[in-house]
Amino acid sequence: QPPRSCEDYWWEWKHCRGLRHAFHHYYAHGELPACGRWRDDYEACRAWERGRDAAAQEALCESERARVMEKQKYAPVWTLRKSPPPDWYLPLEQDKPN
Amino acid sequence: MEQGEAAPPAAEEKGEEEDDFGYRLFPDRNKKPQSFLVRSLFTFHNREIDCSNIFLDPYAQLLLEAMKQSGCTVFSDRHFSCENCDGCVSGGFDSATSQIVLCQNNIRQQSHMNRVVTHELIHAFDHCRAHVDWFKNVKHLACSEIRAANLSGDCTLMNEIARFKFGLKGHHQTCVRDRAIRSILAVRKVSKETAEKAVDEVFDACFNDLEPFGRIPHSKTDAKRAYKDFQNRDRYNANL
Repeated sequence: QPPRSCEDYWWEWKHCRGLRHAFHHYYAHGELPACGRWRDDYEACRAWERGRDAAAQEALCESERARVMEKQKYAPVWTLRKSPPPDWYLPLEQDKPN
Repeated sequence: MEQGEAAPPAAEEKGEEEDDFGYRLFPDRNKKPQSFLVRSLFTFHNREIDCSNIFLDPYAQLLLEAMKQSGCTVFSDRHFSCENCDGCVSGGFDSATSQIVLCQNNIRQQSHMNRVVTHELIHAFDHCRAHVDWFKNVKHLACSEIRAANLSGDCTLMNEIARFKFGLKGHHQTCVRDRAIRSILAVRKVSKETAEKAVDEVFDACFNDLEPFGRIPHSKTDAKRAYKDFQNRDRYNANL
């Protein structure tokens, strides 16, 4: 199945084209948003659902993988933990140092 | 002026400069609790702010769910503390006790409370998922402050205008940068240049680290959407 439901792609496309989002994007990034990619993803999703179109599946997955890669563009500042901090649940009295 | 991030204590003092890590802003921390009579006679409690309503906001809901998934379930009676604070500080995260401090004497509106809770939960979330060296690594602190200012709604246009800071094109980033520097200076004995350098060095990486939201939530609608995406992330990752 597609990574997101087709309604989600439609929502993202509609939301991206709205005035409010355009304003927020300009305020945050200094430029207007590009929404064509959501439209392409929506159409690929529909093609996938309709006819199990292999090309559409590949295009959609490629687009989503590219989104993930864009997020991982920068080297992280800190090391991620493998388990939560050991003192998260400790009662307060035990936490305080002497 | 709004949020500080508190850090730990007492046990050691070394070096030429004593850094209290911001604890002076939270005088009620590490104190024995007063008797109820003393507290009610001599303390003004702001009754408008209800510390139990904090979990209804979609920003907070998403962060709480994300923290639960990371193994840090938040319990309001263990991980939240409503206290009186100094100055203009609205709240802080104390990594020594794993507590979020809310300054009940400095928060007057529920919307402000929601924003402070979101801001501090982002620090708590970072503490939960990563080895953040809050006390010795200014870049780690800077990164968490950038993320908190970016994702909590601190830097909306309306909030900035209320602070008499005007700007439009890309102003969100200017605000995030300035507030991160301000927060670092509030809790660390470092020079402004050091704080600015740390923020500049990590800005790109940390401004673009949008976990767990996946987007910059500019409204509750965005936050609810982000929550929905978070709940669907297993499907998303499985079908890439």
